[in-house]
Amino acid sequence: MPERLITDIGGLPADAIPREEVPQLFWEKHMIAMFNVLWSKGVFNLDEFRRAVEATPVEAYKKSRFYDRRTDGMTDLLVEKGIIDRGELAQRTEAILRKGTRDDAN
Amino acid sequence: MRTDQGATYAAGERVRIKDLGKPGHVRTPLYVREKVGVVDAYIGQFENPEERAYGRIGRERIPLYRVRLKQRDLWPDYEGPERDTLVLEIYDHWLERA
Amino acid sequence: MTHDHDHDHDHDHDHDHHHDHGHGHSHPHPTREDDDVELTYGEAKFIALRAMLIEKGVITGDEVRRRLEINDAATPHQGARMVARAWVDPEYKKRMLVDGKKAAIELGIQVTEAEVMAIENTPEVHNLVVCTLCSCYPRSLLGEPPAWYVSKAYRSRAVREPRTVLKEFGLAFPDEVEVRVHDSNADLRYVILPLRPAGTEGMSEDELAALVSRDCLVGAALPGPVPAA
Repeated sequence: MPERLITDIGGLPADAIPREEVPQLFWEKHMIAMFNVLWSKGVFNLDEFRRAVEATPVEAYKKSRFYDRRTDGMTDLLVEKGIIDRGELAQRTEAILRKGTRDDAN
Repeated sequence: MRTDQGATYAAGERVRIKDLGKPGHVRTPLYVREKVGVVDAYIGQFENPEERAYGRIGRERIPLYRVRLKQRDLWPDYEGPERDTLVLEIYDHWLERA
Repeated sequence: MTHDHDHDHDHDHDHDHHHDHGHGHSHPHPTREDDDVELTYGEAKFIALRAMLIEKGVITGDEVRRRLEINDAATPHQGARMVARAWVDPEYKKRMLVDGKKAAIELGIQVTEAEVMAIENTPEVHNLVVCTLCSCYPRSLLGEPPAWYVSKAYRSRAVREPRTVLKEFGLAFPDEVEVRVHDSNADLRYVILPLRPAGTEGMSEDELAALVSRDCLVGAALPGPVPAA
């Protein structure tokens, strides 16, 4: 049997489909727009992004949120391409969380 | 809009979806591998996502088809009638005549 | 709405609009929509990432804001407009079924997908769209997909037991009707052209568009009257 990609879940047993409407948060919309800009500028392509998401460890994938998978997949590609430094991103993320405000948004 | 130029298989032809067992990024889900269906339509030539996923863009374009399968061929214990089907997109190198 | 509460309001008595300033200023005033939502790790990571990408000149804030506007214009009403036009104009319907993207552009819709295929429901075939591998969805015509569409449960089950799934969505079809599932797994994005409901002969195009809900456009609902207020 070939290895099953974590995203390849068609036909697997599953629970009830959640029908509750979940509003998109503003940052999620904003993040999608940024994702679209990076993609349309050729910084990465959609297939690279899918490949990056598929590299998520299986347990992490099961628990992951849709929009966090976007941010994480995008981040992995930007690190892979040498555009950003993962350590710096972690530091700056922590700094924003400590400050607890969205002042760095621009 | 679309011509048949570059198509290996014609609409209506019986095809088997191969299991290439290829590691890495592919767009052929496991549940259709080794299953037989018919070509619903030839869609045109597209870059191979198995190349694009590793940043190799602008390479050769390959034929892409919509392949229609009977649900009962996919799932022996399928819940619905014989006529129910599923259609998905399969790239040329994942197909063989059946 | 965005107001800056750091300045002293007393200096400006000329404005003729009347905000309610009765609340205390001891807490930070919400200046953005999410300010009443806790700052999560995911959001903080996004804010940091965006700041870094702007500093490095990879993107600009304006590019992102422009794209945000384009994405905001993508709502299910766009897909509904196409359906209503197809119902009243058989020539448009033909063009839509040949090339969904061109038909969308014809109505002034900004299409960001490479290819859109419209699929027609008939009395003999009901179509349902899913993306088992990720979350492919005709976003230009419908906006961001709802939570149910991207859920792992829908992605797993729609290809395996579509009739059960449809029943859970309130749709039952007799065995004489073929249920056809489209797994949106590669280069096309799919939008469903539903059957026009009976009794709508006298309706205008706008009235018809109002019958077409988001979920009709992927086959998980049927067009119908808007629930009375």
